[in-house]
Amino acid sequence: MKKRIIIITSCLLLLACQATVNTVENTEKFMLRESVDNSKVSTDSFLSRRLFIERIDKVELPDGLLKVQVTAVNTRTSIWDQMSTWFMKDNPYQIAYRFSWLDENGMDIKTGTQTWIPMTVIPGDTIRIMAISPNARCKDFTLSIKENQEARSNW
Amino acid sequence: MTHKIISLLSISLSLIILTGCGGTQTRRIDATSNEGLVTTDDINFKDWQIAAEKGINSLLESGVLNRADGRKMILMISTVKNSTNEHIDTRILTDKIRYALLRSGKALTTTAIGGNGPDDRASRQVRELDQDDMFNQSTVKKSGTAIAPDMSLSGEIVQQQASSGRVRESYFFFHMALTDLDTGLAIWEENVEIAKQAKKPVFGW
Repeated sequence: MKKRIIIITSCLLLLACQATVNTVENTEKFMLRESVDNSKVSTDSFLSRRLFIERIDKVELPDGLLKVQVTAVNTRTSIWDQMSTWFMKDNPYQIAYRFSWLDENGMDIKTGTQTWIPMTVIPGDTIRIMAISPNARCKDFTLSIKENQEARSNW
Repeated sequence: MTHKIISLLSISLSLIILTGCGGTQTRRIDATSNEGLVTTDDINFKDWQIAAEKGINSLLESGVLNRADGRKMILMISTVKNSTNEHIDTRILTDKIRYALLRSGKALTTTAIGGNGPDDRASRQVRELDQDDMFNQSTVKKSGTAIAPDMSLSGEIVQQQASSGRVRESYFFFHMALTDLDTGLAIWEENVEIAKQAKKPVFGW
């Protein structure tokens, strides 16, 4: 009996400490989006359990450049997820992403930076990763996402 | 017995000296990765890359480089003011942006003029050859042929520091602007913010 009380109290305490994001949005949407098959995003199984890729949209700008937006949600909002993220120290979750651009022949196009960009994702939050193609020759892209171990706080 | 002590002392001393002579371990890292050093008070190479990437994305998306006549914009690199406490070379930021703009096919950069003087003095030097008999005068570049810039890229980097207890924090604010030299109006501006924290250990420093 004593054990149960301790477990329940601990769970309630953790619930009280939960650092998740609650979002509100309009139900009637006016936007017109062109979706992309999400095989263009590469993540490992560890990360895909934490970050759900909701959708990928692209739009061609008037000058021929490609604008890509990847929408992802940190799904780690349940009590057990909260407990494990607290234990693993991955709340907020730290990721890094990088876009690679390909021409119509599938050849990699070098860009000025092409670097891993760090990003913080709070459980429950929806993030939008956005990039513009470096020139009009870019027809395809690959987005790589990885855990950003270096940004994780060990305090 | 004394002999043994002397031998032992010599061995210990040699070991200490050898340990002291141990070379610093160095390794190469991928400059595009997140493996670089993170220091609170400085702008690290990753910070430059992040600021440049965000600036370039914003500039290309804005569409301000598109001209109705299809001609490429000519860009001049003006100055990036360093308002931080550190000595930094802001050229890393402007060079990354100019490289990306060149690759975008939307703009060309002039090296004949710049905020801190020309990047390449050759454009002026070759025109000074018009009095030099050594050169075939028909091959000497004529005056009045260099193309003046349409726009200038400028900026400022500001640093703000704060500390509370054992935690120290630095906030870097990168401001970038593109000015239309016809009108003097800023046709594009972007701010990139980078914040870093460090915590001192309870013991040590």
